[in-house]
Order: sequence, then C-alpha cells, then structure tokens
Amino acid sequence: MASVYESPKTRINTSMLSQYINRPVCFVGRLQKVHPTGKSFTLLDGEGKMATVELNDPLDEELSGVVEVIGVVSGKATLSATAYTVLRDDKGKPFDLEVYNEGLKIIHDFPQYYPFEVATSS
Amino acid sequence: MSVKLTEGAIEAFTKGSVVPNPMLQVVNIRKIDGGTGPARYRLMMSDGLYTMSSFMLSTQLNSLAEQDVMAPNCICLVKKNVTNTLKDGRRVVIILDMEVVKSAEEVGGKIGEPTPYVEGQTKTTAPPAPAAPAAQPLQPRNVPTSPGNRGSGRDFGKKALSNVPNTPGGSSKVVPIASLNPYQSKWTIRARVTNKGGIRTWSNSRGDGKLFSMEIVDDSGEIRVTAFNQEVDKFFTLIETGKVYYISKGTLKIANKQYSSVKNDYEMTMNGETTFIPCDDCQDVPMVQCDFVSIADLETREKDAILDVIGVCKSVEEVSRITTKNNREVSKRAISLVDASGKMVAVTLWGDEAEKFDGSGQPILAIKGARLSDFGGRSLSALFSSTVMINPDIPEAYKLRGWYDKEGHALEAQSMTELKGGGGGGGNTNWKMLSDVKTEHLGHGEKADYFSCVANIVYLRKENCLYQACPTQDCNKKVVDQHNGMFRCEKCDREFPNFKYRLILSANIADCGDNQWVTCFQESAEAILGHDADYLGKLKESSETSFEEVFQQANFKMYNFRIRVKLETYNDESRIKGTVMDVQPVDHLEYSKRLLANIRKLEAQ
Repeated sequence: MASVYESPKTRINTSMLSQYINRPVCFVGRLQKVHPTGKSFTLLDGEGKMATVELNDPLDEELSGVVEVIGVVSGKATLSATAYTVLRDDKGKPFDLEVYNEGLKIIHDFPQYYPFEVATSS
Repeated sequence: MSVKLTEGAIEAFTKGSVVPNPMLQVVNIRKIDGGTGPARYRLMMSDGLYTMSSFMLSTQLNSLAEQDVMAPNCICLVKKNVTNTLKDGRRVVIILDMEVVKSAEEVGGKIGEPTPYVEGQTKTTAPPAPAAPAAQPLQPRNVPTSPGNRGSGRDFGKKALSNVPNTPGGSSKVVPIASLNPYQSKWTIRARVTNKGGIRTWSNSRGDGKLFSMEIVDDSGEIRVTAFNQEVDKFFTLIETGKVYYISKGTLKIANKQYSSVKNDYEMTMNGETTFIPCDDCQDVPMVQCDFVSIADLETREKDAILDVIGVCKSVEEVSRITTKNNREVSKRAISLVDASGKMVAVTLWGDEAEKFDGSGQPILAIKGARLSDFGGRSLSALFSSTVMINPDIPEAYKLRGWYDKEGHALEAQSMTELKGGGGGGGNTNWKMLSDVKTEHLGHGEKADYFSCVANIVYLRKENCLYQACPTQDCNKKVVDQHNGMFRCEKCDREFPNFKYRLILSANIADCGDNQWVTCFQESAEAILGHDADYLGKLKESSETSFEEVFQQANFKMYNFRIRVKLETYNDESRIKGTVMDVQPVDHLEYSKRLLANIRKLEAQ
C-alpha cells in the first residue's frame, strides 16, 4: 500500500467513486456512523452522499467531525483506507464541506489547471 | 334686442352655485399687468339686476379683450367657468370660455339698472387680500391651460393654499390620483397612505407652526399630501400608514420638487374641509409605487437624482452620531445593498431609520426617494422624504430574495462606492490582485484609489520603523532629542521628559502575481508585528536579536489588506505610494468562496 502514499491521490466525492475503482484517492466527509466492529465507518460528502470506508485494523480512537481519508477505491461506494486524519475546527470555524465540494468540482472541471490533482485514467 | 340676460346669475355666483351658460353684459374691463406673466383681464359683469366685478378672463381669452371684440356693454355667453372662493369668502369667477353674442355697438348701452351685489363686502373693486402686492389683486390668476404664466407660478403656488376649490354638492365620484389638478375641485380619490412622516415644526419671522406630510398612491399614480397646524391636530393620529382612505377636498398646488421625490406635478395641502374616510375594500390599491433603478445603473444617473432602489442588505455598520453644520446631532448608519446586477452600493440612513434599522438576516431593503451622491464613486442617502421599507411585500422583493438565496450570497458584489476603512470581510471591498495596481493604473487618478487584497508579507524593513513621537495624545509628531533628557515637539511647541514610540513600517507584500511596497502606520504595523509600538521600542533598546526575531516571526504571513494607492511625486520622481489602511487575518472560508465564485465567473465569460 506504499504506492498510495507515493502516487497522486485525486480528491473526489461520493459520486465520483465509481470512476476511480482501484485507484488511490483522497476523500473528505463528515462522520456519520462507525461500524460496531470498528473496522469501517461511513462518511457523508459535501453533497450529503454516503461512502463507506474500510479499515485494515479496527479504530483505536473515537472519531467525530470531518475526516480526510486516503486510500484505494474498492467498490461503488467503498474505499479501503490507507490513512485518515480528522480535520478539526479552525479557530472555532468548522470545516465547510460544501465549499470543499465546490472546490473539488473545480479541480475536476479544469484538469488542465490542476494536473497533479486529477490523475487521468489513460 | 332678442338677447336676454340671465337674471339672478350674479347672485348665484356669489353664493357659489353653478349657473349653466349665463348670458351677461360686460360693464367694465380692466387690464391687470401681472409682473412677468401675460396680462390678465378683470371684468365687471351684469345680469341686469346686479353687477359683480370679480370675473377673471383666463389668459387664452385675452385676445377677446385685446382685439376689442369685447368692450363695455357687449353681451357675452359664458360657456365655461370655474368659481373659486377666497379666504375671506369672496368668490372669483374664472371664465374659461365665452362668446360675444352682441357687440357693444349693437347693444348700445347698459341694460337695466344693475347695482353691485352686496352680500359680503363685494364692492365694485374687490379689494385684494391685505398686504398682497397690488399687482396681484386676485388670487386665482393662473387658472387653467396657461402655460405661459411661468413667472407667476410661484405666487400661485403660495397663495392658492388658501384657495379652497368650491365643491357644491359634496361627495363626488372616485377619480384617479393622476387626474387631480388645481382647477378641479369636485373629486374624491381612493388611495393608500404609503409614507407618513412625523410632525415637524417651524419657527421663523412670520411665526411658527407645524406640519406633517405623507404620500398616497393609487394605481394611477401618487401624490404628496401635507397638513398644517389645525389639520395636523385633526388628522395626524387618525391617518395610518398602509391604510386606504377616500379623500376629498384637498387644495392642489404645484409640487415643490426640491422637497419631494413623489412623481406628481402637484401636491395636496389639507384644508379645513378635507375629509379622510377609511376604506375597507382596499385589495386593489397598490401598496407603494416604486420605479427601482438597478444598482449597476446608478453610475449613469446624475448626481443628486432622487430615485428608488431595492437590494439585499449585505452588511450593516453600527450607528454613529455626527454633528451637522447647524449643530444638530443626528444618528447615521451605513449599509451596503446588493441587487441582481451584482453591484453594491453604500446607503446612509439617518435619524430614526438609522437607529431602528436591524440588518440581521440580510433583509431586503427598498428605498423610495433616495438621493444619489457621487461621494466615493456612487452612494445613496435616504432623505427625510424617503420611504425605507424592510422586506416589503412586493414582487421585486421576492424576486430579489430568491436570487440572493440561490446565487447572490456567494457572489462577490462589486461596490459602486469606495469606502475608506472597511477592510475586513465586510461587503464594501474592491478586491484586486497586486498586478492590477499596475495594469489598471490604480492611484493615477485625481483621487486616491482603495482596494483590498489577500497577500503575504515577504519583507519588513526594520530600519527606521520606529520613531520617537510627542507624548501628547493625538499629537504624533516626531520629537527632537535635546540631549539633555528632554524631547521637543515643534508642533506643540513644548519640551517633554518623555516620548512615545510610534511605528511607520515599510513592508513588501506579494500575491501570486506581483508584489508591492506599502507603508503601515501604527495600528496596522502593530497588527503585523504582533506587538505594540511601546514594547517594540523597548525591545529594540534592550535586545537587538529579540527585536529582529519579531520581524522574522512576522514574515510570510497572509492577511487581508486594505490599501490606499496614490501617485506621489518627490524630487521630480513619481511613484505609486501604497498605504495600508487596515490589515485583517484572512477568513479562509470567505476567501475560498470568493475564489470559487471568481473561477465560475471566469468560466461563464
């Protein structure tokens, strides 16, 4: 899985997951629910769509808020995480997922200006 | 002698009754030179029984007198006339249309033995109102259709105040506001009160009094109505804004546009006979008549124009109190309005409006009759006569709300007003890239340009950034070290044993495209360096390394800058001088939104 760290990880939202199957991505969403086993959790992206994140090892901490995950897309709405990090509030201001989603769409709408962000499929 | 005079007509006229097409004999014609306007003719007429001297010929009939068609003793058929009642109850008959049916020669002499009709003090020459200039013996001088009467228009406006149009027969049918004029007295309008002002008082050499004004509308138009003294007492508490009334018997006069933005050539003054009857069935009467000007179009309008605007109140400043030239203290509040044109304008509210205004929730604000000023580009001021409506119940407001909630809120509105200060995340900004300073030649104009930018500090010049200033409050003049423990301020012409440190920091700031040298004074320099001037001064004295560290720490930080640029010339060398007016931390969320909106705007082009 070292390749995930080294390769470009496209920032995507839930609706783009299916186009990135088996490819390394970066996903940001608000924690919805942690599975009782602690081996997976679900995130809601800026459009309110759900994605499931699978972990190799059970969580050893309590998660909440906005989480950024890097990993490989394993299914239509699932990705297997290599690493995750919680995006904490910035001086009392919460991370704005909707604005993030708008930015993300720009990256995809103008790949010519964001060559390292959007790995082309070819 | 087949022509018969209408006996009893004079008596009827004096009593204010209507006499249809009376046949009268002219007894005497007198020319009255009316200052700058055309001459007026005053007639004494007889019905065979009585005479009356207060007949006025309307100016379009002047030719009858001037061409000697009409001469004493001729018999005339009065086809159209208006009777006006003067303050003292005397009546003046204005002849609008008449025909000479028998010339003076044919008649040959006076018919019957008419005597002046005496009811009041009607004598052969009705004396003018006391103290009125001799040239204007009769009030209704400018009656109908006399556009040539410009010169006396003012007199008319003033004097007609007391000129209650006579309305025999009381209530009459409802007419539209647009049809009101000073020459018709029999009317009733059905209108909604849209803007009722407070009671105002005046006091001058002629005495004092009080008045209040309101604006009323129906679907044909609008008109301003003013009540004075007794009518204020009678009507002020009864009339409510927003209610519909049947109104009749007001005095109409030429509107003074200086005090009013109401779109009507006339205005109404209430008099003792004016009636306001509440009307319950008022669905069809419009709320308010506005002709909204798009904020983007303000640029094309003349300064001092009175116009209507509607916009979303994007930001509000706190109320402040200022003292006017005549030493009156008033409250003012500045707000920023945006509309669907994507432009923003600063609007100043005054007095009560300023104090009461609640900008929370970004309400829709409609202002009827705001004055356009060219202060700082284009700005608006709500006047005494303006109507300020918050979230008005009109289609434009709903449209605007829809636009704003959907897309407008994310839009970075471009301001028509360049405000000083402002700086921070507020709406009143004019965002630029530093490269724009050069490409748009900012600061080259007569006035300084102000803009906002997001930039990083790339260099802070620590040399000469502190100076020793006069310790007097509000005097920041550099002091001269007398080298005897005293410091001299030239401005205050005093010596002090101490001084205060002040900052004047030269900084180079950069964004992705360019960089710019700017000067930061006290507050902005303290904000950038993170310490106050006093601390920095002492630090410099005690530890040069710690002082240097402060500068290292402050480097490469990102801020929202508000900058003033102006071309300045020293020793024949001109260059753009940038001064930091305000420095604020970057609100990344807002910055991101702005960048996103800018990208989408570029995409759309």
